[in-house]
Amino acid sequence: MSKWLRMLIVPGMGVLAGVTSGLFGVGGGVILVPLLVAVVHLSEHEAHATSLVAILPIAATGVIVFAFGEGLAWGYGALLAAGSILGAPIGALVAARTDENTLKAAFGAFMIVVGLLLLFG
Amino acid sequence: MTVLVVVGVLVAGLAAGVLSALLGVGGGILLVPFMVLVLDFDQTVAEGTSLLVIIPTAMAGVASHLTRGYVSMRIGAQLGLGGVLGGAAGAALALVVAPELLQFLFGILVLAVGLQMMITGLRQRRASQRSR
Repeated sequence: MSKWLRMLIVPGMGVLAGVTSGLFGVGGGVILVPLLVAVVHLSEHEAHATSLVAILPIAATGVIVFAFGEGLAWGYGALLAAGSILGAPIGALVAARTDENTLKAAFGAFMIVVGLLLLFG
Repeated sequence: MTVLVVVGVLVAGLAAGVLSALLGVGGGILLVPFMVLVLDFDQTVAEGTSLLVIIPTAMAGVASHLTRGYVSMRIGAQLGLGGVLGGAAGAALALVVAPELLQFLFGILVLAVGLQMMITGLRQRRASQRSR
C-alpha cells in the first residue's frame, strides 16, 4: 500500500474504532486488531500492541465526554482497574500452560448467554 | 460501599484481567456486562466507567509490549488521531441514546463476540487435534 493511501486509511480505521469504543464503552481492539492484520499487514502481536497505544487517547476522550454526561462510578472504576492490572500477568502465565482453544470455546458459549441476558433480561 | 462489595468488585476486576489476557479480548466487553447485570448500573454509567478502567489497563499493556518492540508508534498515533474524533462522536451518541436501547445494541455486540470466540475456539481445537 502506498504511504499516502495508508495515511488516509489508518486514521479512518481509527475513526471506526473510536465510534465503537465511545458508543459501547469498549477499547476498540475488537475492530482494530483484525483490521491492522488484514489491511496494514502487521503481525498478530504488533496489531495487539499497536491497538493498545491507539486505545489510550480514544478511551481518554470517551471518559471526558461521559464525565460531562452521566457521571462515572470513579470508586468502582478504580477497584476494577486495580484488579485488572493484577490479573493480566496471571492470565498471561495461565495462557502459556492451558489448552486455550477449549477455554475460548467454553467462554464464547458463556458470552452468548450473557449477550442473551442483556438482550432480553 | 461495604467491605464485601469492595472485595467483590476487586475480585471481578482481577477475573476480567486474567480472562482478557487469557482470551485476547479487551476488558470492556467483560466489565460492562458485569456492571449492568451484577451491579445493576445503567448501561451508560457502566460504559463510561469501563472506559475509565481501560486507560490504566491499556497503559500496563503498552508498557509490557514496548519492552518487546511490538509497538508501532507511528501507526498508533495515526489511529489515535482518527480515534479521538470517532470516540467523541461515539460517546456523545451513547449519551443521547436511551440506556435500554444502548443495552440492547451492546447485547448484540456481546452475542457476536461470543459466537465468534466459540467458533474460532472449536475450529482451532479441531485443527490442533488433527495435527496431533
